[in-house]
Amino acid sequence: MTLKITNLKERVEKVEDILSSVAAGDMTARINPDIEDDLTGVESAIDLLINDLTEELEERKKAQDELENKLKTIQNQQETIRKQQEDMLELSSPVTKVWENILMLPVIGTLDSQRTQIMMENLLENIVSTGCTIAILDITGVPTVDTQVANHLIKTVTAARLLGAECIISGIRPAIAQTIVHLGIDLSSVNTKGTLQDAMRYAFRSSGQKMPDEIDTQDNWIGELK
Amino acid sequence: MTEFLSEKRIPIIKMRDYLVVSIQVDMHDRLALELQAQILEEVSQTGAKGVLIDISVLEMVDSFIGRMLSGMASMAAIMDAFVVIVGMQPAVAITLVELGLEMPGVETALNMEKGIEMLEKRVGTKSQKNSKQLQ
Repeated sequence: MTLKITNLKERVEKVEDILSSVAAGDMTARINPDIEDDLTGVESAIDLLINDLTEELEERKKAQDELENKLKTIQNQQETIRKQQEDMLELSSPVTKVWENILMLPVIGTLDSQRTQIMMENLLENIVSTGCTIAILDITGVPTVDTQVANHLIKTVTAARLLGAECIISGIRPAIAQTIVHLGIDLSSVNTKGTLQDAMRYAFRSSGQKMPDEIDTQDNWIGELK
Repeated sequence: MTEFLSEKRIPIIKMRDYLVVSIQVDMHDRLALELQAQILEEVSQTGAKGVLIDISVLEMVDSFIGRMLSGMASMAAIMDAFVVIVGMQPAVAITLVELGLEMPGVETALNMEKGIEMLEKRVGTKSQKNSKQLQ
């Protein structure tokens, strides 16, 4: 069998040109054979291949775009979560001066090390800036106290003592007292009170002030005498 | 260098019955030891009843200085002088607590004023007791 091929050299060169342009990224080039002979089959097969390749590339690009979009959404969501966490950390430890010489820090929610760190810094800075010597740490809003949380509380109390302020922990619920003793945590170095009221009363006494209700009764008593 | 450092002394001021020490330079270990010896010497010479150490300018207190301070409090207590450390910065307090140096037995006060009040309360009651015993 003999091959009937016309213009062999030119046509092979054309195929080479097309292939190199496809390799360079130009997917529009086609051979489009116009002479019917033995080489036509090969040429049209190459055209078909280029067509398939083009379609595949397009699909892949679409998929990639989709993935990138999804990634962007996830990144945005993560950013939001991070911001909200920061906000929560800032909001979660308000230190207020409730009376002359008395600071109060109500703790609400679970205590982790990062939160306690911020809480401690906040409290200490407030002690220094206000010059209050008594701080009440109310843990009524803390659901559970484990060894780690207790350790953080003790650290806070000790740091406050080093500054020259006394720290009282109030709001110890029965369940919390039970867990603390069961865990073998020694809170004897810390001044603890059952309710915020008790803590306030202690704070008033130890700073030599009178509770508002005591002042009232005394005034009434004096009034009756007059 | 070493001569220069040893020449730098921290002034110890006697005020009535108390000694006032204000640390206003960065402490290094040798200076701390010298200061400790100096304060104890001064306590024995003047018969001071209280020592106020102001560390409000100190931004860094390492474990050595912390130990020196708490050691000095117990040494002075043996010599019948009451030590109050005054004006510790929050960052320093956090560092000391994280280091596990809780300085038990050391009295602290927020500022000089409160420190002096504290000393007067302690030393005052003690001398009152003494005078009552004498009567």
